[in-house]
Amino acid sequence: MNSIDSHLPFLIMSALTLGSALVVVRVRNIVHAGFWLLPCFLGVAGLYALLQAHFFVVVQVLIYVGAILVLMLFALMLTQDVMNPNKPQTNRMSLPIGVFCIVFAAGVAAILTGHQWVNSNAVILPANVQTRQLGQALIGEYALPFEIASVLLLAALVGAIVLAKSEKEPAPLPLPTLAALPDSKPE
Amino acid sequence: MPAVPTSYYLGLSGVLFTIGMIGVLIKRNPIVIFMCIELMLNAVNLSFIASGRHFGHMAGQMMVIFVMAIAAAEVAIGLGIIVAIFRTKETINIDEINLLKY
Repeated sequence: MNSIDSHLPFLIMSALTLGSALVVVRVRNIVHAGFWLLPCFLGVAGLYALLQAHFFVVVQVLIYVGAILVLMLFALMLTQDVMNPNKPQTNRMSLPIGVFCIVFAAGVAAILTGHQWVNSNAVILPANVQTRQLGQALIGEYALPFEIASVLLLAALVGAIVLAKSEKEPAPLPLPTLAALPDSKPE
Repeated sequence: MPAVPTSYYLGLSGVLFTIGMIGVLIKRNPIVIFMCIELMLNAVNLSFIASGRHFGHMAGQMMVIFVMAIAAAEVAIGLGIIVAIFRTKETINIDEINLLKY
């Protein structure tokens, strides 16, 4: 089996991820950008599967696709005026930003190619053993960071509710069908 | 079947991070900026898991759990702030949210 054949799943998944990430950055309509995040996240989940991190395939689909993407689409629909795709979507700093990003990418490439990569001889554990070890470490060795992360998440969610809640009572929703009937108006 | 080398995954992660960084820097809409931050976080998660597999150590995967927790907190807070800004200023264009400048 030659090299291209064995790398084919990796190539497909990385093409899916990078292609949809580019569309997210390029597309003018932000609703389309939100929906193009879906193949990108699924591609990353596929890469996790190729890396045999089975637990994180499920977590990626549940958290990123299931929670974060839906939250973003909700926020898109709550802020409607920016959906107009005819407005310019980028700021006026494209040239210096482009130069900076090229320099950054060149730096990353220099680090990656400058390193002498040896083949990993690490043993990959089967999925059930891997996940059991992860869970035991979360309540053992990593118990304190785990608790801090959960408190942080709770505080963030309470804070988000307080931020998004309006100061005054919301105006009552207009009910045209009820108002049209003369005898159904409240006294 | 020979496995894909770890450096390929790290290179892919670097490209994905750069794409996300371009988006964060040039976009005007904060929600798209959030999407690009998610791209960058995904790139970092990918490199964590690839490195964890390379060294046969669990710490890489453990970091990903915490990164995902932080990402969820960040999205919840950020979108709450965006909705609050939209309610008071009727716009969420990054270029027009400059009250702190003066």
